[in-house]
Amino acid sequence: MNNRLTRTLGSAVLASGLAFGHTAFAGPQDDTLRAAMSGEILNLDYLYTTRREYIILAQMTDATLFTMNPANQQIEPGVASSYEFVNDMTIDVQLRDDVRFHDGSALNAADVAYTYNWIIDPGSESHAQALISRWLDRAEVLDDHTVRFHLAAINPLIIRDMAQRVMLRKDGAYHQGDQVDHDAMALNLIGAGPYRVTRFNPGVELVLERFDDYFGDAPEIENIVVRNIPDMGTQQAELMSGGINWMFNVPLDVARSLDARPEIDHLAGPDLRVSFIVLDAAGVAQPDGPLTDLRVRQAMNHAINKPEIAEFLMGGGASEPIYSACHPVQFGCTQDVPRYEYDPDRARALLAEAGYPDGFSLDLWAYRERPNAEAIMADLEAVGIDINLRYVQLETLNQARASQDIAAYIGTWGSSGVADTALIARVHFSDTSDRHLSGDDQVVEWVLAAEQTADQDLRFGYYQQAITRIAEQAYWVPLVSYSADYLVTSDLEFPLDDDGVPRLQNARWK
Amino acid sequence: MINYILQRVGLAIAVAFTVSLAAFLLLNIATDPAYAIAGEEADPEVIEQIRVRYGLDRPLWVRYLDWLTGVLRGDFGVSYYWNKPVATLVGERVGTTLTLAFSALFVTIAIAIPLGAAAALNRNTWIDSLALWLAVSAQAVPNFWLGLILIILFAVMIPIFPVSGDHTWLHFVLPAFVLGASSVPPVMRLMRTGLIEVMGSDYIRTARAKGYRGPTLLLRHALRNALLPVVSVLAVQLGQKVGGSVITESIFAINGLGRLALQSILGADIPTVQILIFLFALVFVAMNLLADILNAALDPRIRIR
Repeated sequence: MNNRLTRTLGSAVLASGLAFGHTAFAGPQDDTLRAAMSGEILNLDYLYTTRREYIILAQMTDATLFTMNPANQQIEPGVASSYEFVNDMTIDVQLRDDVRFHDGSALNAADVAYTYNWIIDPGSESHAQALISRWLDRAEVLDDHTVRFHLAAINPLIIRDMAQRVMLRKDGAYHQGDQVDHDAMALNLIGAGPYRVTRFNPGVELVLERFDDYFGDAPEIENIVVRNIPDMGTQQAELMSGGINWMFNVPLDVARSLDARPEIDHLAGPDLRVSFIVLDAAGVAQPDGPLTDLRVRQAMNHAINKPEIAEFLMGGGASEPIYSACHPVQFGCTQDVPRYEYDPDRARALLAEAGYPDGFSLDLWAYRERPNAEAIMADLEAVGIDINLRYVQLETLNQARASQDIAAYIGTWGSSGVADTALIARVHFSDTSDRHLSGDDQVVEWVLAAEQTADQDLRFGYYQQAITRIAEQAYWVPLVSYSADYLVTSDLEFPLDDDGVPRLQNARWK
Repeated sequence: MINYILQRVGLAIAVAFTVSLAAFLLLNIATDPAYAIAGEEADPEVIEQIRVRYGLDRPLWVRYLDWLTGVLRGDFGVSYYWNKPVATLVGERVGTTLTLAFSALFVTIAIAIPLGAAAALNRNTWIDSLALWLAVSAQAVPNFWLGLILIILFAVMIPIFPVSGDHTWLHFVLPAFVLGASSVPPVMRLMRTGLIEVMGSDYIRTARAKGYRGPTLLLRHALRNALLPVVSVLAVQLGQKVGGSVITESIFAINGLGRLALQSILGADIPTVQILIFLFALVFVAMNLLADILNAALDPRIRIR
């Protein structure tokens, strides 16, 4: 199905419907927030998933040792009441004594140790394994409410990983006698979060109910129903008819057309996702190609009108041009870097200096936001670079890049909602990543060094050096940050957080 | 006749397997399922882990042969995306899609046959023009657009039907209309042409001479023969409804095989996509076969041949 066409037509049709009769809206009468998601919910176990939808759900159903305060991005106690570094390679974590799982059992140190040891067990095949194995050797029970973590390596993101990646499971959750069941929590989740699952029909509907024994602040809304509705036009109709109260990832044109309706509000907040063009400075795909010349890369930076893309294509809500190779709110993402403002004349001059007065031909790969890709293509062509836009599926781009066939691509990265430069830097600037096309060993060294110290000042310093050098050498063309757009019924108060992660558990009725 | 049917069944299975092989190659060459399964921001280690877990690191031909022998044993494999046996997935949803397909076929019959008959019996009048205009319009309107219009009219502005879902029979009314409407034009035109031809034939003149008029003439003498080509088309249309439910099921969030097909394609879920393509191809060919058998049953001359 041509979803874009559906969306556009749907938007037009729905907007035209505004002139007609008023539809009675379901309010908070049954204290049930109904949310729509396009992506199917198939597995409730965040230890075995990675998509954004699952992060949203896991925050409602699961508990973690620590939590991240979305208002200030600071890590705060969760199931853990405190922690202490015994030495560089050992952390003791104290647990609260009032935490209960959804089946009524008390959460204790054995559950925590089991969860972490299970994740790093190669047999678990958990999606969190690669991340946690980088720093954890084993977890040990000291007493009912104390867990000792023996580290495999120093990692500054340990507490953040505990807060955002490891959802706590009951001791033995994945074991039935000698049998291992990786899917034990996929459909029948026993978490310890503010909501418990009462019904789950994979790919169709998830019904959550407030968990009265939750140890933290109780959410205000009693029930949350998440429905999978693949078509955006249908979601709009459900919103207009009162079938749902909340939808996200709403394209701007759709959001604006429905915002005119008094019963519906359009909310736009920041999102940690950024877009950028990765340039083959090392000549991986094209040895001695034009992109190996610094002046060409700088010219491309000057050629693209980022503010207009942010304002007119991304919607202006919370989208901003970016100049560093990370999101400005991320820790370590220094903004004190050389900036290449939009200046096509300067771009042409630089190209001429580099020996390309008539420009050159370039395959530019892209997989998201085609209008943005076309605007970028137009800007680059305006200074003489003849762009062959290779707009493909993400998987195709990934394969081509793995085969070292890509000289330039428009990438995007959401950093899994984590406001730390580590989440974007390592995967794009480490020598084991096929995304790393700069060939600059010094940048790699700084990026990896930043992950090998817990000293935050030192980390900031490493990132500052790396990000500055990336800008100086124009290894990337940083483009824009994204805006998170939502449509909600006007009786719903839905807070927007800086990391762009929707937190339905914090919603309330007005 | 039996030989003919057996020959056709063999050909049908060959067609279905050819289609599945082509789909398998295209899916695997165009994309790496491990990336799709892992998600956009998965670590390279996770992607490699998935590749090994699902056997995606094996040669293409080995994977296809594995699948093929599995199907012959009745083992459709396990879905990468849903992490369930494909047979279970299909079994859970086939009823929903068949309900939708038959409802849509009912809509087609209920609209197209009376409309075609009315057009034929009132040839070159305003009724005929209106029927043809409706047919052209219905053919020009894309399914997803008609779906959205109906949702706006009958679920939002005049909330008679639910917007989406498949919990009650009411949920099937709008999608059945959408899916059924797309088949109205060919069936209606065929009905009109067939009836015009039959009404001008000698045996109808004879029947008139014997005093038959009006509904008796139409129902007892004309329709039986006029319906012959229509039955063939309706059988094929039923096959198309099953395979063509992808868009309608997605728009109305109906949890049937069409939506499963779309989800599986987007999720690069090769075991599920393979079986669905195989099933859709089988249904389509089987419906063609059924059409031939029905025609033979309705027309003794075909049986004699």
